[in-house]
Amino acid sequence: MRIVILCSSVYSESACAMAARMAESGYIPVGALALSTLDRVTLLRKLEQWGARDVARYARAKLIPQRTNRPSQLRNPYLQPLLKHEDKFFRNLREVAAVYGFPVVTCNDQNVPESIACLKEWSPDLIIFTGGNILRKPLLDIPRLGVLNVHLGLLPEIRGMSSPEWSLLKHVPVGVTIHYMDAGIDTGPILQRCEFPGEAQCESLSDLRNRLIVFGIEKATEVVAALDRGTIAAKPQSTLDSDTNAGPDKDNQFFVIHEWLQARAAERLTNRRLAVVPGTVNG
Amino acid sequence: MNSRNHSATAGRTAKALTEVTGLLRRPQRMFSLVQKLVSDKLRVSFEQQHLYSYSTTKRPTAEALNAMLRWILDAQRRDGGIAAYYSLLTGYSASYPEVTGYIIPTLCDFARASGDHEPLAAAERATTWLLSLQMPTGAFPGGLHGGSHNDESQPSVFNTGQVLQGLVCAHVEMNCLEIRQAATTAGDWLIKMQQPDGSWSGPSAYQGTAHTYYSMVAWALAELSAQTENYLGPDNRDHNSNNDHRSDYGLAAEKNLDWVLSHFRPSGWIDGINLQGPPNYLHFIAYVLQGVLECAILRHRSDAIETVAKSAWVLLRKFETNKYLSGAYESDFKGGQHFTCLTGNAQMSCVWLRLFEVTDDLRYLNAGLKMNEMLKQMIPVRGQRGVVGGVSGSYPIWGRYQPLRYISWGCKFFADALLLEQRFTKTFEASTAETLPCAS
Repeated sequence: MRIVILCSSVYSESACAMAARMAESGYIPVGALALSTLDRVTLLRKLEQWGARDVARYARAKLIPQRTNRPSQLRNPYLQPLLKHEDKFFRNLREVAAVYGFPVVTCNDQNVPESIACLKEWSPDLIIFTGGNILRKPLLDIPRLGVLNVHLGLLPEIRGMSSPEWSLLKHVPVGVTIHYMDAGIDTGPILQRCEFPGEAQCESLSDLRNRLIVFGIEKATEVVAALDRGTIAAKPQSTLDSDTNAGPDKDNQFFVIHEWLQARAAERLTNRRLAVVPGTVNG
Repeated sequence: MNSRNHSATAGRTAKALTEVTGLLRRPQRMFSLVQKLVSDKLRVSFEQQHLYSYSTTKRPTAEALNAMLRWILDAQRRDGGIAAYYSLLTGYSASYPEVTGYIIPTLCDFARASGDHEPLAAAERATTWLLSLQMPTGAFPGGLHGGSHNDESQPSVFNTGQVLQGLVCAHVEMNCLEIRQAATTAGDWLIKMQQPDGSWSGPSAYQGTAHTYYSMVAWALAELSAQTENYLGPDNRDHNSNNDHRSDYGLAAEKNLDWVLSHFRPSGWIDGINLQGPPNYLHFIAYVLQGVLECAILRHRSDAIETVAKSAWVLLRKFETNKYLSGAYESDFKGGQHFTCLTGNAQMSCVWLRLFEVTDDLRYLNAGLKMNEMLKQMIPVRGQRGVVGGVSGSYPIWGRYQPLRYISWGCKFFADALLLEQRFTKTFEASTAETLPCAS
């Protein structure tokens, strides 16, 4: 199985973990195509999502070699087992690539002809998307099987952004969906839907998101193995569509959540945790 | 056609001359003007939006509401009417009957929410002034009070509908027979002027033709019908009126509702806005949606609510993707213009928040909250009277809709949106606190 990783930056922890996990499972990527780290949109997004201090801390951890390589330097601590290599942690995709021997190419846009040519040269069976641009048809058509995405919500109920938060607010189980990408947003055929069993252990929304990312990487690895064995088939979402959350156009797309609603989602998460933790409300 | 073009050109020239003269008369206004032009230019130049972002502000909703309310109270003229706008060139306009009417419910809602009585006193003064303007037929005049155009002597269907909104609300607050009679006379006149197909056209309609945004008039009639139910006697007759028109008001409202609904396209676009000259400003598109939605809620018309929801969803997607709504659109919501009509944005926030109330779909609440955040940023915190707390016609201020002006109906709709936000967020917090299982 020839796998290519697409990512938003060579410093993306999720992309490093995905590549390392695939390689450990015997699916060493044939290449990785990353957006330039100085991409304006990615930088802006991260500044807004994390704040300037966290972005600076992240940059320091990834760019400046530390005397001691501590797991606390990871933004997502649950990725620690996946990123650990010998006595160190992978700091970027180039370090993963150096260990497993695959090329990493950077670009400013994954859809431009140069990127397409590079991807075609790798002739992948499967592309795994861990971040980057909205993908256009020429790119989507390259891999033999398709472009795989790990969506942090259950499809078709919760499409789009802020999926864990919307799942909590809409009383949809929290989980991940491994699906092929198509021209729509999270509308492609589904390979596997997995409810997340550890929701009640999560202390915050960011904790939930971090755990979901790791859960998604594990599930994606299982799906890749099943695809390789030919024991899994994708189902179009139309066969699974539920109208429970559909908007006026039977549209299940959700958008970035306002902080007030995000706070309500966090309250629900806390309530669920308190409801099952022994010695608290349930006694 | 030529004479119409000539008169339009003459009108524009006269307006430009008036505005320049206004600035020459009060050159100190130049400071506010330059300051606003520079700040909008800087904001437009440095604004960076991406798919994951939305505008946020630390400004509390209550503070923004107070600032806008203060703006409205400052805009109340000596006669009791509310000025249409504060121009950065010419200052406050004369009182505007239409806005004075439909700003009354906002003043009353604010007073109820805040416990402040000053807005109620302002609403009373505004009502008294409006009563003095009512024509013997029951109609209210068009245009600005004492304006240079001839509109004031002409009865106007749209303005009568908008004033009726205020009278119905004023009657509920003040329980005054004179107000109630004025409201029913206005309602009777509107029924009389309605065409057999449910529309309003002819000399009392803007530019003489029927418009779908007159759904706002249907809303006013539906309100009148609902309130009339409340003051019927035990024998189901209205003892203070010769006629029992309560069902007529409701039927007239629904007749117009059906006419407007026939203009909705499958794309969600609404035909029949019919403005000759200006583009389809978001303000008018939102008028259609607000009027239909509120009328549908009052008349329990789920078909109309669904139709509005479809159009509102198209605009919600545009807002969520682009982070703003264009100031004007062409057919099927194509070709959005590169400025924002803040009033239209505030109206859409009201539509989304009300749709959240009737459908429970949190995405409408989400969009309303984000829209309100964006608009809160646009209200000047500092500046002279007429500027601070005001809502400009366009962003940037030189945009095509009401350029270089802070408009009273912008304040009205944004205040409505923030009042809805306050109400729904409180209700949501109370209703969704999940009950934990009891230890036993």
